[in-house]
Amino acid sequence: MTWRALGVVAGWVIIVGASTYAQAPAAKNPFEGDQNAIKSGMGLFRARCADCHGMDARGVRGPDITQVWASGRTDDGLFTTIKNGIAGTEMPAQPRLFEHETWQILAYLKTLAASARPDPQRGNAENGKKIYQANCVGCHRVNGVGGRLGPDLSRIGAARSREVLELRIRGGVEGFLPGYEPVTLTPQEGQAVIGVKKNEDLFSVQVMDTRERIQGYDKAMLKEMQNNPRSAMPPFGSNRISESDLDDLIRYLQTLRGFDPSVVQ
Amino acid sequence: MRARLLCLVVIGSSAILAAQQAPPALVTPQEIAEGLPKDGSRWITFGGSYTNQRHSPLTQITPANVKGLVPQWTFQTGTLGNFETTPLVRDNILYVTGPQNVAWALDARTGRQIWRYRRELPNDLTACCGLVNRGFAMLGDKLFMVTLDAHLLALDMRTGAIVWDATLEQYKNGYASTIAPIVVKDKVIVGAAGGEFGIRGFIDAYEAQTGKRAWRFYTIPGPGEPGNDTWAGDSWKTGGASVWVTGAYDPDLNLLYYGIGNPGPDYHSESRLGDNLYAASLVAVDADTGKLRWHYQFTPHDVHDWDSTEVPVLADLTIAGQPRKVVMFANRNGFYYTLDRTNGRIILAKPFVQTTWAREIGRDGRPVLEAGHTPDENGEITCPDITGGTNFWPPTFDPSTRTFFVNAREACMTFYSWKPDYKAGERFTGGAGQRYKSATMPVYGALRAIDPTTGERKWEFKYLNPSTSGLLTTASGLIFSGDNDGNVLALDSRKGTLLWRYQMGANLHGTSAITYMVDGRQHVLVPAGTTLTAWALPQ
Repeated sequence: MTWRALGVVAGWVIIVGASTYAQAPAAKNPFEGDQNAIKSGMGLFRARCADCHGMDARGVRGPDITQVWASGRTDDGLFTTIKNGIAGTEMPAQPRLFEHETWQILAYLKTLAASARPDPQRGNAENGKKIYQANCVGCHRVNGVGGRLGPDLSRIGAARSREVLELRIRGGVEGFLPGYEPVTLTPQEGQAVIGVKKNEDLFSVQVMDTRERIQGYDKAMLKEMQNNPRSAMPPFGSNRISESDLDDLIRYLQTLRGFDPSVVQ
Repeated sequence: MRARLLCLVVIGSSAILAAQQAPPALVTPQEIAEGLPKDGSRWITFGGSYTNQRHSPLTQITPANVKGLVPQWTFQTGTLGNFETTPLVRDNILYVTGPQNVAWALDARTGRQIWRYRRELPNDLTACCGLVNRGFAMLGDKLFMVTLDAHLLALDMRTGAIVWDATLEQYKNGYASTIAPIVVKDKVIVGAAGGEFGIRGFIDAYEAQTGKRAWRFYTIPGPGEPGNDTWAGDSWKTGGASVWVTGAYDPDLNLLYYGIGNPGPDYHSESRLGDNLYAASLVAVDADTGKLRWHYQFTPHDVHDWDSTEVPVLADLTIAGQPRKVVMFANRNGFYYTLDRTNGRIILAKPFVQTTWAREIGRDGRPVLEAGHTPDENGEITCPDITGGTNFWPPTFDPSTRTFFVNAREACMTFYSWKPDYKAGERFTGGAGQRYKSATMPVYGALRAIDPTTGERKWEFKYLNPSTSGLLTTASGLIFSGDNDGNVLALDSRKGTLLWRYQMGANLHGTSAITYMVDGRQHVLVPAGTTLTAWALPQ
């Protein structure tokens, strides 16, 4: 079964990936306003999309998708995004979703659609970048520059809502993405290894340590392996980043919409 | 010097030839009924024997020496998709089905291909859950394999050429087939998959010689037949009840035992009010006529996609001082059952994983339900999850210690449902699920040893993640398993102690290792991902 694939649905709003959908979808959702379709779409959305986008579609690990129509997206474009996913992001393709099921999801989402909220426009991205470089760059990477211990943030502005970014920075969100679970390994002799877990089975664990060394360890050779239930990212309270600086930092993060690594000769 | 060497070679070869008398050219029903022979020369039916015990009499590899296993060869399929097959072996040749209806005959000494068969498949298949196949059956000079477009093929064992091709049903109407057939006397027994596509399931028997259908047992009774009234309105027509996992056979009672799939639509209760017979049941069917002898429904009116397509295992046990002919069954719904296989009556039933939907199985054999476990658009949390407490991966039974072994899953899920519309050939489930995890509902797996006379657990070996591996036991006290992280494992079957492991890089999924002798050496064959690897002790 494909629970993992179905569960990880994120970041499907901003970029429409290169379409591999065989036939062009209808321009307009044929199920819009159909009460039965909306009911089916609600179940489908909750089972397949809500883990990342939230039960209210306002975004958790994935972005807020209640304003997609207000931001200018069209039915057929959204259909293609659901069907094909977005390459290079957490938003997977849904090859086993039938056409009518995709439309049912969109019919339900339309009932949650909100008008475009006036963008607060608060904050200064330029200053935000400085705050980012002072506090975040050691662990996070943007456009090929920075640390690797935490997730790459090159398209974080497209993948997370303002509210979720704020919560995460302030320490209000628990948990971590797969591959970033903090762990402490205590060997039989020598110093403990602190890092994030990249993989694990019953007998071994693969870790990136705080010096970004990737290495595998045989569990039988360890005295102890301790999983830390809290994220490796420390909370940045208002004593560390003021409200005004937080606005600036988020403003900067919102400008990060994707990294193009291609080299133009 | 040369002459002496030549002499040694000749003597050596004769010794090998003498030890390995060629078996009769044609596979007989008697040979199949004998199950796994003590000389380890064959494994020629899905579960090793009709009992599905998957318990080998071989003792060369033991708990003391299993650490010394070394790979003999690895075979790569070169196709997309993973193995879920039980390979068969006879006269030092392996017969293996793979994904996408590719199949091979391989030299068991070297893993080298002798022939390869590939079916041209249509591109609009409806198989719900992977383009897989679970194995061959054999009789005479023929092999039998079902296909994803719902056919049954007979292949020439020596060349892989098609001998006959029988259509089970039209794949465009949602039918598929993935089951390993079994041969009983002169018939090939198969079933239809498609429980998520609104099919009407069945078990079929075909004449092995000609491919002509001998009988069909519909797993959903038609109008006027007993049980049809357990489906509201016309819901029986699209009720699923598929058959995609191989059953057992008792030659003395001449009964076939098959687990039946979920009712459809999977999650939407109101679409099919009633008990929905014989979905989520075990049926006992006369092997000559296909007539139903008895049934036991594990999950009346299932709404969680809990197919009862787990592997039934037969044994003769003494329970409360009485000799009993039993069928053992660890069900996807989270309960372990020991049933009387002469009449389908329940002897005992106990949960073997966390179950929240039913308090217990009552004296009348029906589950005593807990409230609040019918899915709707808002979701309800139930344990086990959709995949279940276990599933189609084969369990095993060691008769010497009277122990039933199963790879169990601890997992819960938020189930959702909504009313679906039926359209031929399209998915018809009416719901979906989202994995749910909490401090009281953790997700992990465990190999569990169960006493089938009491339902009590003897021991368990925990996995980080739920395993989908089948099991193999040997008379030397070993159990072979796999975890969900690519490791193949050997444990002491009496204590559950881990003795050997190897990282295969892919999971042993939906099937088990098998074991047999080649040139006096016991081999353990592991299908994992796109590879088959044979292991043996050093020479």
